[in-house]
Amino acid sequence: MEKEKISELLKQVRKNEKNNVQNEGVKIAVLGSCSIQYFVKILRYYLNQNGVQCNIYEGEYSGINMDVFDPNSSLYEFNPEYVIMLPFYSDVKECPPLLSEGNKIIEYLDDVKKYYEQLWSQINGRLEAKILQANFVLPPVRVLGNLEYQKEYGRNEFLYSVNRELLKVAPSTVTIVDVDALSNNVGKYNWFDYKAYFLNKAAVRLDYMPEYVMCFVHEILALRGNIRKCLVLDLDNTLWGGVVGDEGWEGIQIDSNNAVGEAYRYFQQYCLELKQRGIILAVCSKNDEATAKEPFEKNENMILKLDDISCFIANWENKADNIRRIAQELNIGTDSLVFFDDNPAERQIVREFVPEVHVIDVPQDPALYVLQMEKEQPFEWTQITKEDLERTNSYIENQKRQKMQESFVDYNEYLKALEMKGHIGKIENVDIPRFSQLINKSNQFNLRTIRYQEANIIEMVANPDYRCLYCKLSDKYSNYGIISCVILHKEGSSCFIDTWVMSCRVLKRGVEDLMFNAITDNAKAWGCSSIRAEYLPTKKNKMVESFYEGFEFELTSAKNGTKEYILNDLNNVVDCYIEEE
Amino acid sequence: MNREEIVKDLQEIFRNLFDDEELVIFDEMTSADIEDWDSLIHINLVSDIELKFNITFTTEEILETKNVGEFIDIIEKKVNGGV
Repeated sequence: MEKEKISELLKQVRKNEKNNVQNEGVKIAVLGSCSIQYFVKILRYYLNQNGVQCNIYEGEYSGINMDVFDPNSSLYEFNPEYVIMLPFYSDVKECPPLLSEGNKIIEYLDDVKKYYEQLWSQINGRLEAKILQANFVLPPVRVLGNLEYQKEYGRNEFLYSVNRELLKVAPSTVTIVDVDALSNNVGKYNWFDYKAYFLNKAAVRLDYMPEYVMCFVHEILALRGNIRKCLVLDLDNTLWGGVVGDEGWEGIQIDSNNAVGEAYRYFQQYCLELKQRGIILAVCSKNDEATAKEPFEKNENMILKLDDISCFIANWENKADNIRRIAQELNIGTDSLVFFDDNPAERQIVREFVPEVHVIDVPQDPALYVLQMEKEQPFEWTQITKEDLERTNSYIENQKRQKMQESFVDYNEYLKALEMKGHIGKIENVDIPRFSQLINKSNQFNLRTIRYQEANIIEMVANPDYRCLYCKLSDKYSNYGIISCVILHKEGSSCFIDTWVMSCRVLKRGVEDLMFNAITDNAKAWGCSSIRAEYLPTKKNKMVESFYEGFEFELTSAKNGTKEYILNDLNNVVDCYIEEE
Repeated sequence: MNREEIVKDLQEIFRNLFDDEELVIFDEMTSADIEDWDSLIHINLVSDIELKFNITFTTEEILETKNVGEFIDIIEKKVNGGV
């Protein structure tokens, strides 16, 4: 970050502190080997900016061991949901002596590994917390010169091995945050401020503190289910140079033999790779639709094809409305959109009228588009699963489905013609990352919006009083994988639906019905005589407000939007058009 | 740059940093005179001065500078002498 900006940011941070003093909200502990005061201030500010109120515990300077290994420490008393650990390379005091080889080096590595495993297991033993562990930032100091890299006993090479080993042994409660990668991008000479280190024990130059903090903000937001899923792209001067309406599909700048054309192609290639990792691509352009589509259909230099775009909107209406329409058509929230448009006026309109959209600060020069995306990292996810990779295809297949739907008069006939196949099963180890992802990402079709981390799920799978069910779905167009999850809890003679989530991609297809039948079957198998259910309202789950009424559950209490239900007739089987596998 | 100009710019930095439009700096002023002036904001202060006057302080200068007057002395020396 430039110096002007950090000064301005800190001013905002102080203003926020004065006007918004609060110690309520998500509990986060920050423990570090260096000075963490600025880290904590900026962390609070950024989380507040993202609508997350928080209560932050600031560990003592160099107090990690004190907080973690003392069972009566103030860390455990505080009882945080997240523990952020910020080590410094000088923490690794025992490095292999010069000329050490093989086993000797492994011994030293094991010592560091063991220390961290103990640290984590102490925390995990006492707290239900997610640990965000920064990796070591390797210093720009190579006593051995170029040999530092060639020899395993070189200190930097050793620290590098430590980073890699920690990644291997980290349990699912620990997320390693790659701060070293950020320091590489910034440049180590700039990253480290030895003056500030000797004066104030600063681990990083103040100017880069915001980016440093942002790595953790992204993780926390992602863990809390704030995940961006879709990139909304402008066309003229965003995906190609020039205005297609003026210059025609063959006249736009997308030529691979021209530096500017190459820059646009590089950005298109990047978007394509985002699509391949599961980011939905949408187009929002001020153009006539037919003209806007022509380059995709006819210009051979285009890397993105029409098939890569899940929702294509080109008209002359305002972009704020169009963006809402894209979210609606894709059945996702506007807060999961990222907007990329070269026109500052359009960006301003979207920022103002749809503030929950992440608007990329697009630079003037297309050569810098990819780097800007990298700097802002709008798509930080906690997992990538098979379902993600399939998703973008299934959105595109959805368009075919919609066309097909239009040709049927009767919706049930349409459902039959889809030839859907479903499978309900108990989750196994391999399914846990996807199960956890769905529980943490689903906002709309989510009856209680209780978030569970992988570690919680592993415990529930092992507990006979819990049952974790998934539903897989496929149809003649695509294979969705796991798209719905349920957690049941046996409470005496009653079965409680602790969690019921579903991906909105498969809304009104009968997955709900299939799941309902599986729930009653399970309740009966447990010997239960009733099923208890609850709806907890959030800003986003209004869609399922009256969901249980549809299955003839009886409302037993309703207070402040929270609704409790009971179902006594467990023999009610609901029809659906999904063939069970 | 004469001392008067430096004082004017420095005062602006102080006013901005401590969010006080009436703040007036003087040579003998120390962190004891401003409630919010703690070691943390001191880092911010040094960074703002370095940026404004396009200079850098050495570690020793930061450590040894006791009051605003001494800060002005160093700034004056650096902006005019090009140290």
